[in-house]
Amino acid sequence: MSGTVCVERLSKSYIVRHRKGLFHSQKRIVEALKDVSFEVHPGEILGLLGPNGAGKTTLIKILTTLLLPSSGDAWINGYHVQVNENEVRASVGCMLMGERGLYWKLTGQENLEYFGALYHLKPTARRRRAEEIISLLDLNDICNRPVESYSSGQKMLLAFGKALVNDSSLLILDEPTNTLDVPTASQLRAIVRDLNKQGKTIIYTTHIMSEAEMLCDRVAIIDYGNLLAIGSVADLKSSLKRNQVIQIQGTISDEAISALRLLPMVLQATAATVNGKNKLTVVVGEKREALSTIIATLLENGASLQTIYQEQPSLEDVFIAKTGRTLSEDTYKA
Amino acid sequence: MYLLPKLGAPYQKILTKHEANKRIMKLRPGFSVILASSKTRLLTLSRYPGELLIDIITPIVFALIPILIGKASAGSGAETIFARNTGTENYISYMLIGSCIFSIVFFAFWNVAYWLRSEMETGTIEALYLSPSHRIWVAGGISLYSLIRSIFSAAIAYILGSFLFGVNPFQGNIVLALLFIIIGIIPLYGMTLIFGAMVLRVKQANTLVNLMQWIVSFLMGVFFPIAMLPAFLRVLALLFPPTWMNIGARASILGIEYFFTEWYLDLAVLWGFTIFAPLFGYWAFRSAENKIRSNEGVGTF
Repeated sequence: MSGTVCVERLSKSYIVRHRKGLFHSQKRIVEALKDVSFEVHPGEILGLLGPNGAGKTTLIKILTTLLLPSSGDAWINGYHVQVNENEVRASVGCMLMGERGLYWKLTGQENLEYFGALYHLKPTARRRRAEEIISLLDLNDICNRPVESYSSGQKMLLAFGKALVNDSSLLILDEPTNTLDVPTASQLRAIVRDLNKQGKTIIYTTHIMSEAEMLCDRVAIIDYGNLLAIGSVADLKSSLKRNQVIQIQGTISDEAISALRLLPMVLQATAATVNGKNKLTVVVGEKREALSTIIATLLENGASLQTIYQEQPSLEDVFIAKTGRTLSEDTYKA
Repeated sequence: MYLLPKLGAPYQKILTKHEANKRIMKLRPGFSVILASSKTRLLTLSRYPGELLIDIITPIVFALIPILIGKASAGSGAETIFARNTGTENYISYMLIGSCIFSIVFFAFWNVAYWLRSEMETGTIEALYLSPSHRIWVAGGISLYSLIRSIFSAAIAYILGSFLFGVNPFQGNIVLALLFIIIGIIPLYGMTLIFGAMVLRVKQANTLVNLMQWIVSFLMGVFFPIAMLPAFLRVLALLFPPTWMNIGARASILGIEYFFTEWYLDLAVLWGFTIFAPLFGYWAFRSAENKIRSNEGVGTF
């Protein structure tokens, strides 16, 4: 193990209370992370991909010392997250909780300078660093206004800037493009790419497939607290043979999909609505034998099929193959 | 639990818990965080200018009620009856001093509680925990801010109130009174850490602050000498450092007896609290943090 981040058999469970009426509650143990191990290599962008509630943020919170793991170990830049908390914090730039991590009554400049102080920068250094970040993010016009007057996108950019205050070699970004409009999101992604080119290692959580595909050197798929797969986007795609994914469009009822899932050769069948029509992604063991059976089963169950085609597998197909559903479905709703 | 490195692990930078704590508590960067945190709070306060005015008015109004009740219920003999119980006829100054010290004490609890609560609600508490600065330094900054604000408003309230009620604000040994207040501030802020730990655990500030307001005013003897309390409550009151601030400041200004007759003996008791209260407060705060981090984290509110 020689990565910037090394995670060894990390698990986290905690107690939540399910409220029942005014006075009754029931304790439930949530297993947010189960025996997760992986490494992040120096200079790479690792995407953490998973639906809401999959365990991504829990993992990040453990790596940034906000949470204590129930078992297992993790090292950041060679520092153990439980033993050397302070060193870990000093060596990571983190963007969590988006715009909520800012002081809204202070200006952008004052926010960055205060966080600079928390990272033990000297007054002149923190002022200079704040100015550099403001300039990088093109926030010069608004930096002396209270954050409460910023748009949601401007707040997100400033929150991202906060992660750069200590100029650490590792950045952990938790869904940084959430709530950003398209141009601002692509501006932020371009900055992330530049920072990576400058040598920064980046852990980037997202539930936007295209973003992960565009930005990340490697992707880790997490669901129900399990690390299901990790590898480069190309490797993950090639793990699905071309003839294993069939795309079907048309009007397809839930009953038809359920019937399809009962077929022995069907590994996964997941529906999503695209432009008002059902798009069914079916992952099968062997396409040739399966195709006729699939069509017959769908038609028998009242489906009206418009197109059947085969695409190059996308990251979304990999996700479906690994989890059995699309990223738009929350873990705990599924 | 602090885990040992596994055999063969290439990571040799594992420090002992003691070494890690030593680094955390480095003084110089710590003071820089204290100053930056208090400056941040003062900047925020400057965006609510009306708050300072309310801070000044509150202790005067707080003292006004018992002063008027005293006048109304005891009539012309109020001073004599009061002197029999407290050792001074100057019950207006007595109330005013108690009320101003109470505002310093209550402010300390209020500020720490609402600091934590508002950081939880706005989400900035996780941002604080992500930084390498120990929260004790940030809490120190909040305490400094609270101190500047409360001492400033209590001093103005005392002078203004004295002129308003027609008593001399510069009587007695003011320097000694200030010494009692300044030394008492250290254990006071140690206690606010215990209070902060409770806010972290119960994720509530309003109820705790409301409860604290009555407990503090009662135990400190804001409107009456603690000698009037039942024996068991008197013991509790004497275990509460602000009570000694109050007794010392009143005795120094009004020339009434100190608890142990001599001023330095009362001050020695306060010094004792100065050692234990911050240590106990730190332990309580740290325990609450660890308890939360081992479950759902500081971000939930």
